[in-house]
Amino acid sequence: MSPGGHAKRFLPWLALVALLAVLALQQRDTEPPPEDFAGLGEQAEGYAQARPGAALRFPRDHGAHPDYRIEWWYLTANLEDPDGTPLGIQWTLFRQALSPPDDDDGRSDSPWASRQLWMAHAALSTPDAHFVAERFARGMTLPDSRGQAGVKLEPFAAWLDHWRMESRSTAPAGDTLDRLQVTAQGSDEGYEFGYRLDLNAEGPLVLHGEGGFSRKSADGQGSYYYSQPFYRVEGQVEIDGETREVSGRAWLDREWSSQLLGSGQRGWDWFSLHLEGGAKLMAFRLRGGGEEGGDFVSGSWIDADGRRTSLAGDDLRLKPMTYSPVAGRQVPTQWRLRLPSRDLDVTVSARRADRWMNTAFPYWEGDVVVEGSRSGVGYLEMTGY
Amino acid sequence: MLELRRIRKSYPTPQGLLPVLQGVDLRLAAGESLALMGESGSGKSTLLHLAAGLDTPDDGEVRLDDQPLSALDEPARARLRRERLGLVFQQYHLVPSLTAADNLRLQARLAGREDAAWSRELLERLGLAGMAGRYPEQLSGGQQQRLAIGRALAARPALLLADEPTGNLDENSADEVLALLLALVRDRGCALLMVTHSPRVAAPLDRCLRLRHGRIAEASL
Amino acid sequence: MNAASPRTAFLTLFSHYRRHPGQLAMLIVGLWVASALWSGVQAINASARDSYARAEALFSTGLDRIERRDGRPLTLDDYLSLRLAGAPVSPMVEGEIELAGGRRVEVLGVDPLTLPEISGFRTAGGTGSLRDFLQPPYRTRLAPDTLASLTAEDDALPSLADGRALPPLELAPELPPGLAVMDIAVALELLERDGLSHLLVAPDARVELPDSLVRSAAATPMAPGQLTDSFHLNLTAMGLLALVVGLLIVHTALSLTLEQRLGLMRTLRALGVSGRALVGLLLSELLLLGLLGAALGILSGAWLARWLLPDVAASLQALYGERVGIELALPWHYWLGGLAVTLGGLLTAGLGTLWRAARLDVLGLGHAQAWRAQFLRQLRSMTLAGGLLWLVALGLLVWLDRQPPAEGLTPGFVMIAAGLLGSALWLPPLLAMLLVGAGHLLRRHPLAQWALADLQLQLPRLSVAMMALLLALSANLGVGSMVGGFRLTFLEWLDQRLVADLYLRLPPAQYQAAVDWLESRDEIDTLLPRASAEATLLAKEGSQYQPRPASVYGVTPHPTLTESWPLLASQENAASAWRAFARGAAMINEQLALATGLAPGQRLRLSSPSGPLELPIAAVYPDYGNPRGEVMLTTTDLSARFQTSPDSIAIVLERELPPGAIETLRRDLIQALGIGGGSLIDQREIRRRSTDIFERTFAITRALNTLTLGVAGLALLSSLLAQSSQRRGQLAPLWALGVARGPLAGAGVVQLGSAALVTGLLAVPVGLALSWCLVAVINVAAFGWRLPLYVFPAQIAATLALALGVALLAAVLPAWRLWRTSPRILLTEFEAL
Repeated sequence: MSPGGHAKRFLPWLALVALLAVLALQQRDTEPPPEDFAGLGEQAEGYAQARPGAALRFPRDHGAHPDYRIEWWYLTANLEDPDGTPLGIQWTLFRQALSPPDDDDGRSDSPWASRQLWMAHAALSTPDAHFVAERFARGMTLPDSRGQAGVKLEPFAAWLDHWRMESRSTAPAGDTLDRLQVTAQGSDEGYEFGYRLDLNAEGPLVLHGEGGFSRKSADGQGSYYYSQPFYRVEGQVEIDGETREVSGRAWLDREWSSQLLGSGQRGWDWFSLHLEGGAKLMAFRLRGGGEEGGDFVSGSWIDADGRRTSLAGDDLRLKPMTYSPVAGRQVPTQWRLRLPSRDLDVTVSARRADRWMNTAFPYWEGDVVVEGSRSGVGYLEMTGY
Repeated sequence: MLELRRIRKSYPTPQGLLPVLQGVDLRLAAGESLALMGESGSGKSTLLHLAAGLDTPDDGEVRLDDQPLSALDEPARARLRRERLGLVFQQYHLVPSLTAADNLRLQARLAGREDAAWSRELLERLGLAGMAGRYPEQLSGGQQQRLAIGRALAARPALLLADEPTGNLDENSADEVLALLLALVRDRGCALLMVTHSPRVAAPLDRCLRLRHGRIAEASL
Repeated sequence: MNAASPRTAFLTLFSHYRRHPGQLAMLIVGLWVASALWSGVQAINASARDSYARAEALFSTGLDRIERRDGRPLTLDDYLSLRLAGAPVSPMVEGEIELAGGRRVEVLGVDPLTLPEISGFRTAGGTGSLRDFLQPPYRTRLAPDTLASLTAEDDALPSLADGRALPPLELAPELPPGLAVMDIAVALELLERDGLSHLLVAPDARVELPDSLVRSAAATPMAPGQLTDSFHLNLTAMGLLALVVGLLIVHTALSLTLEQRLGLMRTLRALGVSGRALVGLLLSELLLLGLLGAALGILSGAWLARWLLPDVAASLQALYGERVGIELALPWHYWLGGLAVTLGGLLTAGLGTLWRAARLDVLGLGHAQAWRAQFLRQLRSMTLAGGLLWLVALGLLVWLDRQPPAEGLTPGFVMIAAGLLGSALWLPPLLAMLLVGAGHLLRRHPLAQWALADLQLQLPRLSVAMMALLLALSANLGVGSMVGGFRLTFLEWLDQRLVADLYLRLPPAQYQAAVDWLESRDEIDTLLPRASAEATLLAKEGSQYQPRPASVYGVTPHPTLTESWPLLASQENAASAWRAFARGAAMINEQLALATGLAPGQRLRLSSPSGPLELPIAAVYPDYGNPRGEVMLTTTDLSARFQTSPDSIAIVLERELPPGAIETLRRDLIQALGIGGGSLIDQREIRRRSTDIFERTFAITRALNTLTLGVAGLALLSSLLAQSSQRRGQLAPLWALGVARGPLAGAGVVQLGSAALVTGLLAVPVGLALSWCLVAVINVAAFGWRLPLYVFPAQIAATLALALGVALLAAVLPAWRLWRTSPRILLTEFEAL
């Protein structure tokens, strides 16, 4: 028996115990999902509130707003490989504050003791598969915007681990988001996938709602919301060791708030569509919480030159047509979308019903095809099913 | 030889003290045989036990060889029983783990005066010569009682005390055992005090006394 | 029979116990004790198994670790640069904190967000529990048994020794005992650290590491199941022994109550109760008693386990590094199992009784004559069965001799059980033979002759209690010799192995500095660098074994060490073996030699970073206390071949040092090298620790052994007491014939004393055989090392004295009662029926 032999034998054992902590944490996973998706409708006392009338400023507002509870940098792209096979990618960075800004009781000044939780999702869709990966990180109170996850401004970069969205442009002219590079690699059930995309904006940033304040229910709460829908994309995707050149269009959404959903709202259906002729359409339906308990429908019509018109439920009609069984639920995978003021009457169909994001907060996110009075492509996100 | 004077003895019962003997006087000379008769519960066995020094009277005196038993401690009384007395019980009380021969010699050996010739003779006369190696449970009732008598006599006692020695035997065996007992007692010049309820058994003895209500009631049959 | 009559019959049968409460007490005590010891052991096993079932779940998902090469804590930047490069590593800090009241608890700080193998946190209900875990005031997750051991004293929530509070507690039953898991932020704060202990990474994850970091594979689990199984099998065997001894009491009591109720049963049969109904009645009586005994036993078993568990936990931790909660966790099958075993044992013990009741002869003819023949028949079948069992034991011994040692555990115990039972069955025939013989020798001593003959008469009933005594004595002697032998060997071995005065463990980067510093000191006589590595022993063509993990251990073959280091086998002699070793040969420990059949002169193949090594084996050395196979090389060879550097130094000091010199050196060393006091261990400390481990290991064995012996004594006492009224019938005539009560009582004590002495004498060879089996079969199978067999005359004498003591203790009470019996009571035996 060598001195310390017992202690030595102990060490590997101890190291493994960590997993148990996780097992224990996951114990609670078996509870049914809440009506209120991902806590987005939780009361947000102590946090800053999104209100109409505040002017957004860039590049400042491309960065994180830690005093607000939730925030995201949300990129989707409709791509094609040289054979014309349609592909879709998603790159999302979520930030969530776990406690209000002034709640620092018992928090040490250790870099590990942070209020912020970061989560990133990467997905890659092909006509017959859907690869998803997610990563988590705690925020770190480090100088110089270092840390495992975060967003910095000069030059712009948003990252979690090695998943990055960063500015390729150092030119002072134009917006720092105009030229981006986006990367992610992950694995899903043993399949490695990844992408590296160069994005070039061909139009301006678009502020939704009232100068960037987007109402989310009839009783007034909402979020700050702007988009860059005009990206032209070149790059490579890799699936299971095979690389393909791709090109297409991408759409970046930026949104932050402390209470996104009103009480009684169960989830949303969100469309971002690139239409034939260069116009874009953003439309969403928040289920519940509208006037007299109905749905709250809103959107933006964006001309090819970036001019924007607000849309509301009296003009914009969203109607589920076909439901498909996905991950044990019924999810509407085909929609009729009508906008009489623009002579728009289209069917929006998922390329594949199973685009389920089986992540910690599960939801549906996938590429769609637009057919009817105008054709196009886009992305559909549905939560709360 | 044996003298009991004004013996009183009572036993505690749930109903209070039960007087068993209420002033009994009795004398037995050397070589004399005496039958003590009486109903069940008349105190016959108690009297026998007192005579053997197995029990002590509440009042009165038991004298053996002119010596008061009350003056002796237990080891001395045990020694007296070993060396001077022979006891025969209705239930035989043989030692089941010893052979007939060893049972017969047991008391003589305990008394330290085993006489091999006498033991052999006893076995012969008791009709047990061919059964010396048998164990008690391999003998009939009559044979067992004869063996018990042999055990009592093997140590050449001065006084033989017998408690219903034929009580467990059928009439034929009883007569046979009794005849043997009396013959041996006479031959040895040994005194005999025998408790019995049967006049038929008491008849051949020199004297007969009857116990009634704790007293000697009559002095003859 | 009408409906009421079974009840009447039952009550009539049962009324026997009102007259003889002693027999009832004996039955219940027997059942109680048997079931208590058995369930106690089972409770300990169940509880310990539960503890490492929790730990073992982890072994199956072992994670690799990443550490710094220089042994220092990892920094945040180390972590971040790996994460930002995409490496799925997770930080961890581990340490111990002292709680108020001196209790210590192992703290594990984790980052639940990056731990591998998680698809994510479905933190339903918002970020609920995850948020609590990650945010002030944080949470301390621990198993219920850890919680209980922390708060047992005052029920207050634990706080740290310095007054800081632990984060609020949250129960996580899946966690192993003795461990508190919390968020890394608060763990770092409580442990007052900045750096990380190491990083974790899934074994299948590819990670490119900078040179400053080193990845170590998930430690090959040491199959704790297999190791601890042997420990539990040991316990179970002790439990079974206790159960058998307890059931022997029950058997004695049952035979007695049946025998005394034969007349009653005949009467019941004559009154019209059928034989079947009678058996049914007895069966329900048995069940009733069984339920009562089992209930008492199981409850006391739990209590017993609670009492022994801290020792068991300490043993397991010391032996195998397994943590066991010291709180009982009793699954439902514990209760059910205890009940089943007790009732099953009771029915087995009562089967003979029921059989006899079923064949009851209504008239009772021939019964009195039959007992002797019946007993002789019984003795014959005992002799025969005992012989068969011994054949089984010998057969197993021959078979075991041809098996690999590790597979011998269960067959080894079966062999021991067969040998013990065989010996126990031979005891009554042996006693009977001796009694007949002695009876012939002592025929001139009437009282002695009577006593011997009378003992024969008692034998059928006493023999079972004597068998119990034999089992308990043999076990006591056997285990005692084994433990004593182990202690001798082990302490001697420790002294031989611990040649150095101080042992210093240090990270490779600090090694040279330490050597330089040490060499400048006058107190130092010799420095013996040591190194270690992990490797796989590869199978060779024609070898009998599978590839297996082995530790590789490097020592410096300096004369100080080689002159005292014990060797078990070498090709020529120790000196030539050490010369070969210095030239590059390997030595292997006994565990490895036994497991693989490798021997000096053969060659072994070992994996190494520079490719497979093929080394000649110079010698085999004993390595007590180490559960793993080990290959020993010189430190130089090991460092070169496994591309590592020495990780510890054995420091031999000058012989003649002034008092306090070691302490001074120690202090200076700690200060100069900036090492923790824990890296420097002195020889006395190791010796103390090892002896501690040793003592703890056998504490339970000894406790159970003593209890078993107590039970055997109880068996003897109760069987004597139970038949004391019957004995009166046999003693009264002798008293009437002129043997005073004093000598009669004395004869009884001598009778039992001599029977016990014979039993004790038989227990000596049986115990020594048992001891041999333990050291040569069970130890080899369970631990992988073999001990020399020691015979301790003092222990043998103690066993005999113990036998006598137990017998006398058991005999004195009945003898005293006899001596005190009033003649009136004895006279009742003569009353005419």
